[in-house]
Amino acid sequence: MVKVMKIKFNFWGVFWAVAGMLYFFVPLYGTLDFSLRMVKGTISLKAYQLVLSDPAFLDSFRYSAIMGIITVLISLLIFLPTIYWVNLKLPQVRPVIEIITILPFIIPVIVYVFGMIRTFSQPPLQMTLYPFTTDILMVVGYIVLSMPYMYRAIDVGMRSIDVRTLTEAAQSLGSNWIQILLNVIIPNMRIAILSGALITFALVIGELILGDFLVRPALGPYMVEVGRDTAYQPAALAILSYALTWICLGLIQLGGRGGTSQQITGR
Amino acid sequence: MSFIELSHIHKHFSGAVAVDDFNLNAEQGEFISFLGPSGCGKTTTLRMIAGFELPTRGKVTLAGQDMTFVPPNKRKVGMVFQSYALFPNMTVAENIGYGLKIAGKPKGEIKTRVDEMLALIHMENFLTRYPGQLSGGQQQRVALARALAFRPQALLLDEPLSALDAKIRVELRLEIRRIQQQLGITTVYVTHDQEEALSLSDRIVVMSQGRVEQIGTPYEIYKTPATEFVASFVGQLNLIPIKILNLTERQVQLNGYTINAGRLAEKFSPESPCLAVRPEEINPGKVEGHNNLQGIVESIHYLGSIVRLRVEVHGSHFLMDLFNDQKLAIPRVGDAYDFHFPVDACWLI
Repeated sequence: MVKVMKIKFNFWGVFWAVAGMLYFFVPLYGTLDFSLRMVKGTISLKAYQLVLSDPAFLDSFRYSAIMGIITVLISLLIFLPTIYWVNLKLPQVRPVIEIITILPFIIPVIVYVFGMIRTFSQPPLQMTLYPFTTDILMVVGYIVLSMPYMYRAIDVGMRSIDVRTLTEAAQSLGSNWIQILLNVIIPNMRIAILSGALITFALVIGELILGDFLVRPALGPYMVEVGRDTAYQPAALAILSYALTWICLGLIQLGGRGGTSQQITGR
Repeated sequence: MSFIELSHIHKHFSGAVAVDDFNLNAEQGEFISFLGPSGCGKTTTLRMIAGFELPTRGKVTLAGQDMTFVPPNKRKVGMVFQSYALFPNMTVAENIGYGLKIAGKPKGEIKTRVDEMLALIHMENFLTRYPGQLSGGQQQRVALARALAFRPQALLLDEPLSALDAKIRVELRLEIRRIQQQLGITTVYVTHDQEEALSLSDRIVVMSQGRVEQIGTPYEIYKTPATEFVASFVGQLNLIPIKILNLTERQVQLNGYTINAGRLAEKFSPESPCLAVRPEEINPGKVEGHNNLQGIVESIHYLGSIVRLRVEVHGSHFLMDLFNDQKLAIPRVGDAYDFHFPVDACWLI
């Protein structure tokens, strides 16, 4: 006798999943459709061509990309050793650090930016006068804004490995702290570091308020400016922005798949 | 001069005493086990030798050099952890060669040494595998090879076999002893498993509540335990409260029976004296010149090659271990049962 398996159909589960997807994808589809209709009566990539050939777009994208890379590197330099030390020697300090890292969620960016402008637009720390020093302020601002994401990504990665025992094993074999970080800890946290880095990069690329109020040629203010004078190009920019974010997330997934087979712990 | 010397080592954690006045001299090439229940301070003491903990007081000396405040990466002491602690991002060969790479050895020398170590642990075909692709026993072998590859002056093992199943544990502990004897390296081994300690060690340090109860060879620890703790922790032991008749003659009374004991324990306690005798020393029947008693069989347990009887003698209970051979006549529960044990086989504690 052949047994027929009865598949249970969860109506409300499917209903809400479809509703959620429609809520997210319908406006996105609308934006995409609008961006392709710059030439009347036909579907074309004219809006994308105009955006991608605009020197101002290329300049602002380059600026934001460079700021993103610098932000990622400095964030990693700050957070990686700090979180490593907290996990290894000062676990009791973790609650305090977690509160500090969620402050960017609580304090609106506009308040933070106004505070920066007030503090750094007059002596003795007058940094808003010159582009280079203003860029330093931008990087610091981005580091603070990306703190919740970078901290959590690295902390989760750190907790998934036995930091203490691996450190002690490396020490017993003659390693100093730098060697332990470079040879043992960081290679086993590639995925976590990649996650933090890509999320930070995507955040910097899309950030508006810091660039706007500190008057720097970032991609966010460029998108606002383009939106003021044109219709189709902002839609194209929005789709490009989404695409960049999904590429970053896709890279995280790819990196996660590639690393897993090697990074199973030795327990 | 001893190779490893621990002098008056104390360790306190927030007021709680983890290790209390620990003293040990280990000779070159000796295999020493720290044996005791969880929380007795054996791992803490090991970690102080490795440099992962600082003693509150006392001195750690290795090969004549004071290492008390030397950081762990400068002590040249190999360590094997309970959780193996292999580096997941490195292959077996890279794990084993790591200590040599850190020491700046040339690639050729590293390769030669790695090949030697792989041959020592019989894992020549595993050099390109990652830890996640190895079994527990294989990982522990690699961990051992890694700890030995850079030619440390001593080897420390922190319960390296506890995460493995029983059969692998037995195989691997023989392997560890073979390798240790072949290399002649001074080894300190932490375990709570008395069978491991008894079978591997030149000497055993039995610990309880941060203190050393006894240091001795496996034979001394088993046959002449100094304290009640050592006697009851290592092996099975009958500890029967008795009344002293003549302490000089070591004659005691046990529920109407006069018993002659062979000796007094090193730390005999006259306030609550007990008779100690191992279950395997007790045999059925009566023998002249031995201590002869009679009791009622309370229970019988089959333990494979051993049959364990529990016999009640006017309120006191004796455990007897008998070899489960063809000649064994197993009584029934409730039977009256004669048994005896030699005078030299029992002592007062």
